[in-house]
Amino acid sequence: MTKQIPQPWGTPLKEEALQKHNVLTVDYKPKVKYAWASGIAIGRFLNGLKDGQIIGTRCDNCGRVVVPPRIFCEWCFKPTESWVKLPDTGTVNTFSISYITADTTRIKTPIIPAVIQIDETTNAGLLHLIENSKPDAVKIGMKVKAAWLPASERKGSITDIKHFAPVR
Amino acid sequence: MSSESIKVEGDFPVHFRYTAGLAGEKFLREIKDNARLVASRCLKCGLNYLPPRISCERCMSRLEEYVPIESVGVVAAVTRCRYDPEGKELAEPVPLALVRFPSAHGGLIHRVKGTVQVGDKVRVIFKEKLSRIGFILDIEHFEKVR
Repeated sequence: MTKQIPQPWGTPLKEEALQKHNVLTVDYKPKVKYAWASGIAIGRFLNGLKDGQIIGTRCDNCGRVVVPPRIFCEWCFKPTESWVKLPDTGTVNTFSISYITADTTRIKTPIIPAVIQIDETTNAGLLHLIENSKPDAVKIGMKVKAAWLPASERKGSITDIKHFAPVR
Repeated sequence: MSSESIKVEGDFPVHFRYTAGLAGEKFLREIKDNARLVASRCLKCGLNYLPPRISCERCMSRLEEYVPIESVGVVAAVTRCRYDPEGKELAEPVPLALVRFPSAHGGLIHRVKGTVQVGDKVRVIFKEKLSRIGFILDIEHFEKVR
């Protein structure tokens, strides 16, 4: 099939042509807004972050403690009604060393996204960034602690935790 | 308990930059430089495509011939636009029309000055040369031919 199609007719655009306005362009910045309902459990979790506190839930049936919290245990299919205050320390469960940002910009100093298993929880973790560590010093199992924004700047978001840093 | 559910809001920074393509570029430059419409012509099928395109939808030929199209056409459909692209109600509805041109296959959708009806003859009114930038809004509107 592909053999039957001759050289494509399109003209590859070079960055230079766009920069120098050799071709006509139309710019468009749509206002892309979103809003979602957090639900009961995430609502409590986010309000907890505002207070500098990580909140999880315990399943009274199997005893499992999870964060972010949820209102039912997906193992037992039972409501989880025990809310627990958790420490802001944990262990690196998995991590990545990334030389691009979320908007695909290349960066010299890598960011280190990681899943942090919060202490006193079972088999669950928070996705966050590790800082104050050399990329090659990050190891699975490494102990980390949350670095919080000052209370006045916290607004009930996962970014109320600035990052996790190694425990020295 | 349900009052603990909170509304989480945010936005995505999205920035598009569109180019018009080979035929679209030609179309817009003719509007900008010469205040005229051009169509791409299929020599095999004898069709003039407006807005121009680089391939014939009937015989798949590559189109490289461009022909000027007289800027008087006939209204094929009308509507009134009441909302902006974000869904906000406009203070004044904007009348729009699809206009077909006797010698071209296709047509243009654009703003209309005043009220027109299907079948009315309208003329394409271009902006002043200095304010034309090579954009579809270099066409000011369609205006009824008296």
